[in-house]
Amino acid sequence: MKKIQGKYKVVELVRVNDIYYRLVLDAPALAKAVKPGQFVHIRVSDHFEPLFRRPFSVYRALAGKVEIFFEPVGKGSKMLASCKKGDVLDVLGPLGKPFASPSRSVKQIVFVGGGIGVAPFMIFSDTLLKHKAEKVLLYGGRSKAHTFSLAEFKKNGVKTFISTDDGAVGVKGRVSELFSKIDLAPTTFIYACGPKPMMAAVAAFACDKGLSGEASMEEVMACGLGACLGCSIPTTKGYRTVCHDGPVFDLKELVFA
Amino acid sequence: MNISVKIGQSVFPNPVTVASGTFGHAEEFYGQEEVLKLGALVPKTVTLYPQQGNPPKRICETPAGMINAIGIENPGIDAFIDLKLPKLKATGVPLIISISAHSEDDFAVMIEKLNDAGGLSAIELNLSCPNLQKKVLVAQSAEATSSVVQRAKQVAKYPLIAKLSPNVTDIAAIALAAEEAGADAISMVNTFMAMAIDIKKRRSRIGNFTGGLSGPAIRPIAVRMVCETAAKVKIPVIGMGGITSADDALEFLIAGATMVAVGTYNFVDPRTPLAVLEGIKAYMKANKMTDIRELIGSIQR
Ligand SMILES: Cc1cc2nc3c(=O)[nH]c(=O)nc-3n(C[C@H](O)[C@H](O)[C@H](O)COP(=O)(O)OP(=O)(O)OC[C@H]3O[C@@H](n4cnc5c(N)ncnc54)[C@H](O)[C@@H]3O)c2cc1C
Ligand SMILES: Cc1cc2nc3c(=O)[nH]c(=O)nc-3n(C[C@H](O)[C@H](O)[C@H](O)COP(=O)(O)O)c2cc1C
Ligand code: FES
Repeated sequence: MKKIQGKYKVVELVRVNDIYYRLVLDAPALAKAVKPGQFVHIRVSDHFEPLFRRPFSVYRALAGKVEIFFEPVGKGSKMLASCKKGDVLDVLGPLGKPFASPSRSVKQIVFVGGGIGVAPFMIFSDTLLKHKAEKVLLYGGRSKAHTFSLAEFKKNGVKTFISTDDGAVGVKGRVSELFSKIDLAPTTFIYACGPKPMMAAVAAFACDKGLSGEASMEEVMACGLGACLGCSIPTTKGYRTVCHDGPVFDLKELVFA
Repeated sequence: MNISVKIGQSVFPNPVTVASGTFGHAEEFYGQEEVLKLGALVPKTVTLYPQQGNPPKRICETPAGMINAIGIENPGIDAFIDLKLPKLKATGVPLIISISAHSEDDFAVMIEKLNDAGGLSAIELNLSCPNLQKKVLVAQSAEATSSVVQRAKQVAKYPLIAKLSPNVTDIAAIALAAEEAGADAISMVNTFMAMAIDIKKRRSRIGNFTGGLSGPAIRPIAVRMVCETAAKVKIPVIGMGGITSADDALEFLIAGATMVAVGTYNFVDPRTPLAVLEGIKAYMKANKMTDIRELIGSIQR
């Protein structure tokens, strides 16, 4: 029987830029168990406010440390952004279905990350060092403030391309504009994570070009364990839970309203 | 220390269970201990035919609580019996199966299927459902409650639990109607009809427009309702509504509940039922109680 609940110490809270944070937890068992695309469900308060845990993709899991990469947007994530070294967090995880590992016939792996949606691709690229495919990251930030150093990706042999809505950094426009920068092949496999409109655009693009891929989806969660059926989204197979059947889904299965 | 309790002829090793819809579908996740030590397991309500549930958003967080409108997504009674029940039986924990239907005939058909499937400890009738013939929410009408329970009692070979809605003026009156109709226990409360609005979009935060409120926010109302009802009916009451700890559960037991169920808080901390069980035992020990009956309904007036 899997052990999924643990209390882990905060090793470090790092400001990545004016918007993003990186939280490092000392969590050897979790670091060992987690696979790219899986998430952790964190209790941000010991009280009833906020009540629910908050789900975050695992950004990195190296040397017994588990990192998440996050943007404070509301009360829960803001509480997380105010935690201190030595604080102990109650964490459920690893949860959810990971990304499918690309088969050997895949010659090009394209990560498409919209904003904070880039998070799961760091741990993914860490685990793909031996995969011979060309690896590309298309990163879309809303503004210059949303961009950050992609050096860690480059170290992992990933080619990076950036877009911003106003063109202040990289290409002007949506992250999907960056597809024109690379040569896609039938052996390309796409992995996408980001806001819903971006995912819809990527799914439509992949369908149009006949490419396969997966996307990591978001929905409000209560249990994170598949027990409450609260996080269901429509798919071609009917409603599926993001926390348990996902968060990773085949691009072809997703239904966008 | 005797902490076992009885509903009809069924015995439960301890009074701690889980609220339907808040546990299960994830059997592989709960550590052995969390499941095996429960007094009873109550899976999500099952209906005669599969139901796909409501469109998102199905849940939203509210102050010390949540609103849900899942829409009883479930695989239907046949698939439940074939695919889910064997795994539930394998845990060895007493099973209370929750069912709901739009007509008395459908309730009867489901109960017959459960009779044949065997291995249960009780059947819970989730009465927070519209009755298509009578055009009322069963749990909001003493008459409709009575007639559903009577019909169910004719077929059921297991003890019957009537699960009541708190969205009524006098819940004890509905409980009495269920008792007179033959119910072996009352389970209360289900969620409170509620709503939350996204003021930016001027839309409901729930896809189904309205939903049901649960969690710590409702606990004091639930305790009051259990206290009123337990004073009037002779059959056991299973108390629930916002239980997060042993202290919360003790309020329900002292108010008169024979069993207690953890619902929403399973989502916050899956170990809550276990903590509740340990805490009840510790409280009994500290108060030199040897039988849970000394605790149940011990409220001073
Ligand atoms: C599988 C998964 C992985 C995620 N990974 C990351 C990540 O790596 N980095 C990151 O910054 N964010 C990530 N998110 C989004 C993150 O969970 C939300 O930003 C966070 O829950 C917001 O909580 P809040 O209290 O700050 O916001 P509030 O708006 O106050 O939250 C209110 C409620 O809505 C929920 N909610 C709000 N936004 C989202 C959202 N986008 N997705 C799901 N629930 C939401 C909250 O959990 C809470 O229940 C992920 C979400 C999911 C489902
Ligand atoms: C997500 C969710 C799903 C639920 N599904 C059911 C259900 O299928 N059948 C039922 O009888 N009650 C259902 N309930 C109600 C609970 O069983 C319980 O009566 C109620 O939530 C109050 O307890 P709590 O405050 O501890 O959650 C559900 C509650 C929640 C939060
Ligand atoms: S959050 Fe409960 S099923 Fe996904």
